[in-house]
Amino acid sequence: MAEPLLDVRNLKTYYFTESGVVKAVNDVTLSIRRGELLGLVGESGSGKSTLGFSIIRLVPPPGKIIDGSVFLDNIDLMKLSEKELRKIRGRRIGMIFQDPLTCLDPLRRIEDQMVETVMVHMDVERDEAREMAAEALERVGISGDRLKDYPHQLSGGMRQRAMIAMATMLHPELLIADEPTTALDVIVQSKIMDLLEDLKESMKMSILLITHDLALVIERADRVAVMYAGELCEVGTSEQISEDPLHPYTKLLLESIPDVEAPKTKLKSIPGNPPDMRNPPSGCKFWPRCPYAEDICRQMPPKFAELNGRIVRCHLYREGERG
Amino acid sequence: MVKLVPKVRLKGLTLAGTIMVLFTVFLAVLAPILTPYDPTKSVDLSLQPPSWKHPFGTNKVGQDMWSRTVYGARTILAVVFLSTIVSIMIGVPLGLISGYVGGILDRVLAMIMDAMYAFPGLILAIAIAAAMGPGIINTAVSIAIVYVPTYFRMVRGQTLSIKEQLYVEAARAIGAKPLTILTRYVFPNVVSVIAVVFTLSVADVVLTEAALSFFGLSVPAPTPDWGFDLKAGHPYLLSGYWWLITFPGLMIMILAVGFTFIGEGVAEYLGAREVKI
Amino acid sequence: MAKIFSETGMASLKTFIIARVLALIPTMLILVTLVFFVMRVLPGDPVIAIVGMRAPAERVIELKKKLGLLDEAGNPVPLPIQYLNYLSRLVRGDFGRSLIWGKRPVLVEIMEHFPATVELAIAGFIVSIILGLVLGSLGGWMGGKTSSAVKTYGAITYALFIPWIGMLFQLFFAVWLGVLPVAGRIDTGLEPPTITGLYLIDSVITGRWDSFMSALRHIMLPAITLGLVISGVFTRVTRTSVEEVMRQDFVVAARARGIPEHKILIHVLKNSFVPILTMMGLQLALLMTGAVLTETTFSWPGMGTFLLERIQYRDYTTVQGTVVFFAIIVSLVNLIVDICYAYIDPRIRY
Repeated sequence: MAEPLLDVRNLKTYYFTESGVVKAVNDVTLSIRRGELLGLVGESGSGKSTLGFSIIRLVPPPGKIIDGSVFLDNIDLMKLSEKELRKIRGRRIGMIFQDPLTCLDPLRRIEDQMVETVMVHMDVERDEAREMAAEALERVGISGDRLKDYPHQLSGGMRQRAMIAMATMLHPELLIADEPTTALDVIVQSKIMDLLEDLKESMKMSILLITHDLALVIERADRVAVMYAGELCEVGTSEQISEDPLHPYTKLLLESIPDVEAPKTKLKSIPGNPPDMRNPPSGCKFWPRCPYAEDICRQMPPKFAELNGRIVRCHLYREGERG
Repeated sequence: MVKLVPKVRLKGLTLAGTIMVLFTVFLAVLAPILTPYDPTKSVDLSLQPPSWKHPFGTNKVGQDMWSRTVYGARTILAVVFLSTIVSIMIGVPLGLISGYVGGILDRVLAMIMDAMYAFPGLILAIAIAAAMGPGIINTAVSIAIVYVPTYFRMVRGQTLSIKEQLYVEAARAIGAKPLTILTRYVFPNVVSVIAVVFTLSVADVVLTEAALSFFGLSVPAPTPDWGFDLKAGHPYLLSGYWWLITFPGLMIMILAVGFTFIGEGVAEYLGAREVKI
Repeated sequence: MAKIFSETGMASLKTFIIARVLALIPTMLILVTLVFFVMRVLPGDPVIAIVGMRAPAERVIELKKKLGLLDEAGNPVPLPIQYLNYLSRLVRGDFGRSLIWGKRPVLVEIMEHFPATVELAIAGFIVSIILGLVLGSLGGWMGGKTSSAVKTYGAITYALFIPWIGMLFQLFFAVWLGVLPVAGRIDTGLEPPTITGLYLIDSVITGRWDSFMSALRHIMLPAITLGLVISGVFTRVTRTSVEEVMRQDFVVAARARGIPEHKILIHVLKNSFVPILTMMGLQLALLMTGAVLTETTFSWPGMGTFLLERIQYRDYTTVQGTVVFFAIIVSLVNLIVDICYAYIDPRIRY
């Protein structure tokens, strides 16, 4: 296997709130390969967004990255200075967000915001930057003469495309997409995902797709990572996850996906509530909601086990065998 | 205050503010013990700089500035206390009635109060104090009138929102008399609002009293009064007699800033409560 | 912007203006009545206060006629009629005459002192805006300890007693360092020709640089004193506004694109501006109060000094006229400010 593009090792990001410490990302190790679309799935509060922000060190206070490394090629992003990191943001790693309306400065034209991005990273003339901006817009399917528009003049889908254009115009190696389709309707969602896949192919770009929608990830991603309460549960290819889910949480998530063709039955949801992250359960954090929970689950957090090239973290599985 | 509001930990600014205010109260209460001289009498040569005998020096009339400064706490606290009571006694019932009864009475009253509220308070206070003449009661009344609209508006607003609530509807359905409704349901909720208005506006009241006494519109001459001393000492500044104005002014600042810090703490506490709810 | 000039946009602006001007009338009426009530009804017996207990009867009667308590024939005028007389004279622009120097109308005397107050108010306002914007932006942008420090600054400045701060400045800069004048508006003899009445502007227009320098040196301490104390509000509003904008997503998104902090700050400031503007207009009352206190400390010959001087002389008619004038000015300026807001932000019109 080739060297991964991004190598996250033992990353810990905690939020120090007045009512307690929230271990949003608690010792996560994950890698993203070149040209792959990795889907990171979890409920709200699972820490998936925080993980995304942590990669480029944009965690808002009271959050802080406590420990761990994030290697982009051989560079540990955690050890870079702000100035050096800024060169990477937007250039080698891009990020898009859930709500494109609030992510664009409402007082400035699209063109200005895009041109600014270019000129911060590259030593080019303004005109050349403008051409690059027009090109980037065309690439995402927006006509170049919309450059002069203000964000509120574009439709929701177009705004998201504009944001994708801005984030990818400098051909980054990795695109972190934090819930990019959650605020869009299904049809637009599908188009945006098509666009992202296109860009992945044409620009040889990896994508970290952060979402709570497991169905979306199974459909589009090469590999899937499932997160719960700040920790990884399972990582595997999308076929493996959808056909043979190992972790109980993954199984429950799959079952709760509504099946259009199945007869009308009640929608299944996962019993219980997500944990209070200030006071999480002991041992394996999923035990209160797990149908297979045993005493050991309450007492000790499980270790990672490798099985057929997959990783799973559950007391049911030990290295190379099934429990 | 701490007993009424459980789990209040005084920290940082609020603590500093409370200390400052309590210090002033301490001076006021223990004035006779703390001061060796009568602040209204001339006890020594005039314009003496600070010394062991007179830690704050003496003024033009030969009065001991330390004694005057300490006793001045009494004057200002008395005026502030009195005027607050009068403001509350007028503003709160008016607000309650206006908010509860509504209709034309409410609209007229609200319009009058809004007009007064928008007008610079100090100028109004000056006009009233000038008309009424000197004296503690007169000064307290002048200031009280200026702050009536503040209490009125808050109480009226609170009354209006409580009126909408179901349990008042229920009480009315049972046939409770308006007075009962006001006293049993509306008033308890209003008390906390009054406390808030007080903490947020009392610093202003202090400064207004200081201004009035600075203009000679507060208590009459020999009574120790910080604003008055400031004015009296001002002309001698040019000749370098700095101690005449420094200490009275410092005390005004301590009291006003102290109340402001407490007010900030209260505002933050309430803001935090809102978020939790 | 295009929306404001659309037909419906202008129509709603017009209705807004008309509505506000109409609303002005009852407000001013209330204030004017309030002043009447305070000056006529409250004092025990203003006449005795003026001339003392042992004044001869003719003096008392003469004074009562001047005050409008007695008519020409010497008969007592009932209070309601006094009120109506008062109103009718005001409407005609008659603010009465001084009890002491009866020859000149009060309005004329007020207008002689008005420009000085305006000049001081504007200068103080400018200082407060500069302080408020700079410190507030700094606090909002940097957060943490800087934000707390700025918060504390805001709390303290609001509670400062202007005369004391002014005196400290006088002590330090004028008496001990001797670099700035202690009081007054300008060195005698250097007054520029009167065009606007504002010395700084008039001296520039007429090219009198010695007047300008003198006026500038004299206005510095009062303007800084006033500006400092008023800046607290601006600081707070700027800080909260900037803090809120900083939390918005486009700031994070811009950082994610590698845009440097200083460029982000400029965009944040642009977005924070509207609530700050809103606050500016509401400070008029505070500004007037501050101006009065500043004037008396620095012997600045404006309306504040004028008002207090006449109070000392128990010149009740002038005091009444001056307070009424304050009321009218405050109401008018509030009206203009409200209209400006409605022009800028169409949402306010409804």
